[in-house]
Amino acid sequence: MQLTKSKNVTAALATATCALLGVTPTVDAQESVWEMDTALLYYGETDRVTAVEGVFAAKKDFGDEHIFSAKLVLDTLTGASATGAVPQESVQTFTRPSGNGQYQINASDTPLDDTFKDTRVQLEGQWTQPLWQDYKVSSGLHLSKEYDYLSLAVNGSLAKDFNQKNTTVSAGVSLAFDTIDPEGGRPVAFSQMVIDQGQFANEEAYRTAFGETRQSGSDDKTIVDLLFGVTQVISRKMLMQFNYGYSVSEGYHTDPFKVLSVVNEQGQTQSLLYENRPDKRARHSVYWQTKYASSLGVSDVSYRFATDDWDINSHTIDTRFRINLSNNTYIQPHFRYYQQSAADLYRPFLMEGNELPKHASADYRLGEMTAYTLGFKYGMTMASGNELAFRLEYYQQNPKNSGVTAPGILQQQNLYPSLNAIIAQVSYSF
Amino acid sequence: MASPCELLIDSQDQKLAQHLTSFAYAECRRIEQKYSRYLGGNLIDQINKSKGQSVAIDDETYRLLEFANTCYEISEGLFDITSGVLRKIWKFDGSDNIPTKQQVKAILPKVGWPKVKYNQQNIRLPEGMELDFGGIGKEYAVDNVAKICKEQAPLTSVVVNFGGDIQVTRSRANQQAWLIGIESFKSQLKTQKVLRIYQGGLATSGDAKRYLLKDGIRYGHILNPKTGYPIEDSARSVTVATDHCIQAGLLATLALLQGPNADGFLQQQGVKHWCYR
Repeated sequence: MQLTKSKNVTAALATATCALLGVTPTVDAQESVWEMDTALLYYGETDRVTAVEGVFAAKKDFGDEHIFSAKLVLDTLTGASATGAVPQESVQTFTRPSGNGQYQINASDTPLDDTFKDTRVQLEGQWTQPLWQDYKVSSGLHLSKEYDYLSLAVNGSLAKDFNQKNTTVSAGVSLAFDTIDPEGGRPVAFSQMVIDQGQFANEEAYRTAFGETRQSGSDDKTIVDLLFGVTQVISRKMLMQFNYGYSVSEGYHTDPFKVLSVVNEQGQTQSLLYENRPDKRARHSVYWQTKYASSLGVSDVSYRFATDDWDINSHTIDTRFRINLSNNTYIQPHFRYYQQSAADLYRPFLMEGNELPKHASADYRLGEMTAYTLGFKYGMTMASGNELAFRLEYYQQNPKNSGVTAPGILQQQNLYPSLNAIIAQVSYSF
Repeated sequence: MASPCELLIDSQDQKLAQHLTSFAYAECRRIEQKYSRYLGGNLIDQINKSKGQSVAIDDETYRLLEFANTCYEISEGLFDITSGVLRKIWKFDGSDNIPTKQQVKAILPKVGWPKVKYNQQNIRLPEGMELDFGGIGKEYAVDNVAKICKEQAPLTSVVVNFGGDIQVTRSRANQQAWLIGIESFKSQLKTQKVLRIYQGGLATSGDAKRYLLKDGIRYGHILNPKTGYPIEDSARSVTVATDHCIQAGLLATLALLQGPNADGFLQQQGVKHWCYR
């Protein structure tokens, strides 16, 4: 009982259908295709770091919401980054982290190491699919490689829908393993920077002295992240999300390129010590986000509070408001405010003659600060359905003194210089 | 239509939505009143009770008969709108109530499309035979409602969904797809398959819940009008996507009638399809 004239069936049926309905046929249904997102981002700090980043992401639904996504990120960083040393009234000389050569910083300038240069490749793959009724699982792999840094991570999460998919509860875990092997080796904690000022008989004597401040081999860090979330549909127009995250990392947290100035009572630098951070850090965070759709557009407001056992407490408020200008164009202003308290190990400098603390760092990123981002995004959907978007943002970071009295000449120096940056991005989705 | 019927309208215009819904409701009701075999006194009832007498028909009915005729021809007799009488002896209620050979033999002479004579003005159905548009009626209604929506709101994308038989009138603004979930019968997991439909028709044939079970043999509810028995090894459910809902519905039904060869048949037709066994 086979249809022998199978090939004619469709044609005959199409003709019969048109005769019955009095219409002409059109396009048919389609299964999903690869969705591609590409972006090029420029980040430029005034006088400091410049980064250029390319992102290529692909996503496909293989049916039944079995989704695979992959992402490739390439970025290059060049420029100068603050070393942690304080500015002085005279020219300062520093040894490069590699031990090869020196650089000088003019009087009253914030010491920056201008050899900052890196290329990073990042690869991610993620698989998400439904499991049983109302459950969804997701797992992924992450790899990030820089010249002196390698990070490998795996993640997994489980989500369940309740109340006709109006409530989603999720739990996720991520395990990361990082290895660091910096150029010139990792400095010995609190060892003094060896600076060749003619005191060494020969190159070999300098090399021996420099070598004594270095540890051999690489070091590593393991990070465990746990995330619990609830997403709730409040109304047809409103969606809310609450997350709690716990992150604990163990291993090498020290920045091998950062130092602390040891100053005397007149504020003059006597020596430079390599920093030392604890080998454990635990962080809790809570996050709340609300999205609201109105006839004008979509507003998105979020707040995050984080606290860790290094005593950094931070608050982040992030707001975006997407305004639809027409059926296929929109503009989205963005404002983000960030505030953090200083870590207990943060010291803008060390005083000569005082006992060394157990841990110390002069990294401005661990100090008290406020920061804000102000910008907008303009996007357009083209006739083909592809989206082109431009983003332009200004970022300013204002480090603050958290109650340290600067001695002598340091009172005339700017120990907490502001940092500003421009972020520009072009993205295209097809 | 004996199933939930809905319209999804890609618009913020409440007036337009009300307008389209009332048009759709009227058209749906008109077709049901005219062609449902469950309603007494309508055209189908008149034809089925005509006892061999000629009954006058209108143009719409003539076009439906012509369509049914094409379906009969291309399926080489497997799709037959006179096969409804077989349900008098086959009641697919999950029981083991299989009709006897004598019962099947006795009813077979009442099946056979070529015995029906019709032209543009009238139809003559031999006594004891019955016409049943059940196999195409719902899809026909979907296509008609979609056609009306397209005429009334040519720039608005509307999904006409009558119990899983679907027609999308046009693509949405910004090339977005309509995400349509269809129930899959794969194992006992009640997962939903989500299809992205931009435009066109979609229909599902088959019903996993309708069968008979005797001596370990499962009798699916798709009957072969030539033998009077269920098609063996037919798929439990077939979904087809193509230009028009009624076309998709027919291809899905024809695939079920192919028994084990449903997949091969659909592949040969070059249409998007999802076959569950």
